[in-house]
Amino acid sequence: MDQRAQIEELVYRSCMALDERDFKGFLELCDPGFRYKVTVYSPEIRKEMVWLDQDRRGMETLFTNLPRHNSDHSPLVRHATVYTVKMDGAQAEVVSALQVFRTALDGGATELFGVARLIDTVKLDGGTPRLASRVVRMETRQLGFGSHIPF
Amino acid sequence: MAKSAAEWNAPPKFPPTHYVDSRIYTDEAIFEEEKEKLFKPSWIIACHESEIPNAFDYRLFTHPSGVPLIAVRGEDQNVRSFYNICPHRGNTILYDPAGNAKRMTCIFHQWSFDTRGNCIDISRADQGYQSRFCKEDAGLREVKVEVGYGGFVWVNLDDACAPLKDYIGPSMDILAPYMQEPMEVFHFNRAIVDTNYKLWHDTNSEFYHDFVHYFNRITGMMQPGYFDRKYTGFPNGHATVGSMSIQYDKYEGSKERAVGWPGLTPGGWYMVDLFPGMTYNLRTSVLRIDTAIPLGPNKVAIEFRGLGLKSDTPAQRAQRVFDHNTIWGPFGRNLHEDLLAVHGQGRAMREGTDSRWVIHGREEASTIHDEIGMRHFYAEWSRRMGRASYEPFRDDRPAQARAAA
Repeated sequence: MDQRAQIEELVYRSCMALDERDFKGFLELCDPGFRYKVTVYSPEIRKEMVWLDQDRRGMETLFTNLPRHNSDHSPLVRHATVYTVKMDGAQAEVVSALQVFRTALDGGATELFGVARLIDTVKLDGGTPRLASRVVRMETRQLGFGSHIPF
Repeated sequence: MAKSAAEWNAPPKFPPTHYVDSRIYTDEAIFEEEKEKLFKPSWIIACHESEIPNAFDYRLFTHPSGVPLIAVRGEDQNVRSFYNICPHRGNTILYDPAGNAKRMTCIFHQWSFDTRGNCIDISRADQGYQSRFCKEDAGLREVKVEVGYGGFVWVNLDDACAPLKDYIGPSMDILAPYMQEPMEVFHFNRAIVDTNYKLWHDTNSEFYHDFVHYFNRITGMMQPGYFDRKYTGFPNGHATVGSMSIQYDKYEGSKERAVGWPGLTPGGWYMVDLFPGMTYNLRTSVLRIDTAIPLGPNKVAIEFRGLGLKSDTPAQRAQRVFDHNTIWGPFGRNLHEDLLAVHGQGRAMREGTDSRWVIHGREEASTIHDEIGMRHFYAEWSRRMGRASYEPFRDDRPAQARAAA
């Protein structure tokens, strides 16, 4: 598999792991220095906002604590399309389109939950590509009752 | 013991002040009446002054009664508010939720207005209206505005309303020491949920539901002082909740909040619930403001704002944002749980479900799990609506008058 294909597969695997709530599997795709952010621009207050910002340890804790919280159990399905891969030495900058669909537990209707861009930095120096950082750049700003599971 | 239909429909075994008929959350006629009697004459938070810092900055706001408003800062630095409705053909004047506009121009026929609501240009006025109608006849509808209580922009649709300070009364005294420094909004999020707006305000008016929050149980309910927090009711349906010291380090992944807030005890937490649907929530390092905007009997838009201090360094601001997001962001631990809970209420109480009563019966000397906050709200609701919340459809008119109606 060429490097671009490996990088694309990493993005897709990260989505599948989160879809399956395989959080351990998701973190295995991440570098020890992994950082995850959700950002969004608010035209209401005309400011850039950060809605979530965690390092790898913070993500681990967030996942570990999930069973202790009351959360919506509707399945989320992430549909990503890798748009661009820009190689830069031992890393690559990857931009993907992301749509997140939510399927209601009662009745099974599926709705578009959110639209975003994934801006990933992928480390290439260890043989297997790993996510060094992910910025989920949200377009959607209304998330209803929200979610405990990140995008 | 499970109940029969008759038992289910019978009023709960409490004084009538301690429960409400759940039809007040679903009835369309009551909802329309609430807009007229509760929202139109009340002072409502439209935005914060930091959202419109410069001359000609504007912010759009949909008033809970449904009226679209513009809040705009004039060249004289005063904030005014107008209907976002062109007096010509009823079109929307401004579309972007915020911006800067020296002239507010309706795209439809290019009528323009200044920040005082004066019409300053009517396209081809003389040719069409001759001397029958002119700019002076075409002003915007202005509504009352006051800026206060932490720099918030308050609006009131009632031209004859009492001043804001009379409406708020002493209810904000508990927060006054902590709102001496200029603040700035760093977070805005609007959540639309299928539930009644009062159910959201109820959630802000009682802490018994801390059982839904793992974070609050660990950092609050299981810590000393939690059950000492007290509710105090104030005129006009407002209420406050006293402070305690939250032990943030008890939640794995959280830690003692280092930034704090000027004058506030570390870990301090004050809340003020303002009738009919606003809440100030100062929790250690962040001020959160909720504004409930009902969209129907069973649909509400809740605007959430997070504020820090204008004087924040980048590091302080980043810490406040982090603290805020941990529990109150759209991916935060507590907000999702609260919204999920009221979504569940909306689902169970929607029209036709045969939901009958909502009980506010806990009495614990006005402390944190006492439901006095909600009882206080519904006493004011009943007074303003001219209907008892426990018996909203009772008609005391003589039979003859009822028949005539």
